[in-house]
Amino acid sequence: MPIYAPTLPPAPDLHQGHPPALVLMRFDFTRLWRQKIGRFFGFAFLMLLLWKVARIYIDHLLQTNPAFKTMQDFAKTVLTQGADFQSDLLNPAMYLLWFLVALVGGGLVARDTLYRVRPLMYAHPVAPRDYLLAKLGFAAGLPFLILLPFALLPWLMSLLLAGLHGPVWATAPLRLLPAMAVSSLLMGSLAIGASSMAATPRAGIGWVLGLVLGAGTLASMIHGLTGLRFVDGLNPVMLAEAWPQLFVGVDRPMVAWLPAILGTAFHISLWTFVAARRTRPSEVVI
Amino acid sequence: MIAFENLEVRYAAAAAPALKGLTLSLERGIVGLLGPNGAGKSTLLKALLGLLTPSRGSGTVLGVPLGAPEAARLRSRIGYMPEYDALIEDASAYEQVAFWGELSGLAPEAARDRAHEVLYFVGLDEARYRPVSGYSTGMRQRVKLAQALVHSPELIFLDEPTNGLDPDGRRRMLELVLRVHAELGTGVILASHLLGDVERVADQLVILDKGEIKAAGSMAGLRKVLARRVELRFLDPLNPAQEADLAELGTVLEARNGLYDLELTEADPAATFRWAQARGTTLVQVTPRHDRLDEVLLRALHPGTGD
Repeated sequence: MPIYAPTLPPAPDLHQGHPPALVLMRFDFTRLWRQKIGRFFGFAFLMLLLWKVARIYIDHLLQTNPAFKTMQDFAKTVLTQGADFQSDLLNPAMYLLWFLVALVGGGLVARDTLYRVRPLMYAHPVAPRDYLLAKLGFAAGLPFLILLPFALLPWLMSLLLAGLHGPVWATAPLRLLPAMAVSSLLMGSLAIGASSMAATPRAGIGWVLGLVLGAGTLASMIHGLTGLRFVDGLNPVMLAEAWPQLFVGVDRPMVAWLPAILGTAFHISLWTFVAARRTRPSEVVI
Repeated sequence: MIAFENLEVRYAAAAAPALKGLTLSLERGIVGLLGPNGAGKSTLLKALLGLLTPSRGSGTVLGVPLGAPEAARLRSRIGYMPEYDALIEDASAYEQVAFWGELSGLAPEAARDRAHEVLYFVGLDEARYRPVSGYSTGMRQRVKLAQALVHSPELIFLDEPTNGLDPDGRRRMLELVLRVHAELGTGVILASHLLGDVERVADQLVILDKGEIKAAGSMAGLRKVLARRVELRFLDPLNPAQEADLAELGTVLEARNGLYDLELTEADPAATFRWAQARGTTLVQVTPRHDRLDEVLLRALHPGTGD
């Protein structure tokens, strides 16, 4: 037998809270934190990060400790300090991120579709652009936040151990952070576009993987048949990896500047547009 | 509370209008919105929430013109309880009511405090920390009502609030609806297929069909109409001339085996006896026909078919 309150006092003043997009984004982060998938990927990324940091420390030991003097020549060939090493700081986390984006991002819009909460959101002071911004912010913010320690911790450790002449360039964050932002935005837009086309989170995962792998396969096939390298700009996986290479100035990046710009702009605009169309208030049934 | 004139809504420019020139004014109270599937109830709610822009006509909700730029802010003054399960299954009732409160503009801490209060108000005090996936239908309906009330709206739209509830659950939900209006002063628009629910709580009624208003008015006015409905039993069958004269008393709704269902022009049933005496026939029974709101609905939806 439920017990009812004798009455309900009036609510506090409205319009004191955070913007709707921020509230939506925070709720998605809280939800992810609660799930086992968040803990699993947290552990996996932590292990990768420890490996990166450990490599830099070993490099430092090899360079400075006389006991390792015989190994120094070998170390110089393995632990390069060039542009490739800088861009490689984000790998293989970048590949693992695609799986995380598929697993988490695939359900981002689809879960709202399945639970039918989006119409209820629009019945609140939430505009479609708030919804889109929140979902894109979460889907792009998550990979960016995960990549952040991969760019900053090795850099900090390199600075502490070896100063400006360490294995990580002093200017590396200035080059890696914008590259990470572009790659994360690419991942996020693809995830919400794919998720908006799915009716369930599981289908959303399939959509993200299908689009990422499908676009990659198509680009590889056209490349293989025609020999045209610029079609690699359609491959989202290669694009995400190419941006750090382009920003740090790798000699032979996976994708050149122009196809990378065109391909990334194509994917971001297309999938954001799809998500915007699929989450309009007129699409909802109340 | 709500007024609109010649309101027309289309989903696409070339499509047929989903609402066809509705004109209506509703006072603050509990308004029952009745109509079959596809009647335009949801479209009307969408238009009132500012989610659809009228293609023609004008209207105001709580003084804010429909389609105005401030319509988004208007939604923080309105609560909406959808018909279907719009619950976040992996969150507790407390988490999601606080979330909806924040979306309505409450500060995070205020939204959390308010979630406790409003869940207590709807009778979900002890279960509020459990994920809603384990809730019964009645509990889920009460969570939906709580999220509609969390920001103290001036007006709430309740879409089939008693759906799937057992008789006791229905009674409790309707009592809550009455309390919301009586204690909080909140205006209520109650869309329902269950006429008994509407009749029990509503003080105004709107009947919609095919995008048009078929009938609208206060429940008191409707009850007056209902009170004029009587069944007359005569000792001997009326002859054709007498049957034709029955029109002097009011509208003949049905005639069968010497029984006549009439909607009297005057509320005084004594006039029927005077009419019978004047025509030399014996009226043996006048039976008032109350509680036939369903007949009003059917007559509004299918005029010319009697009951």
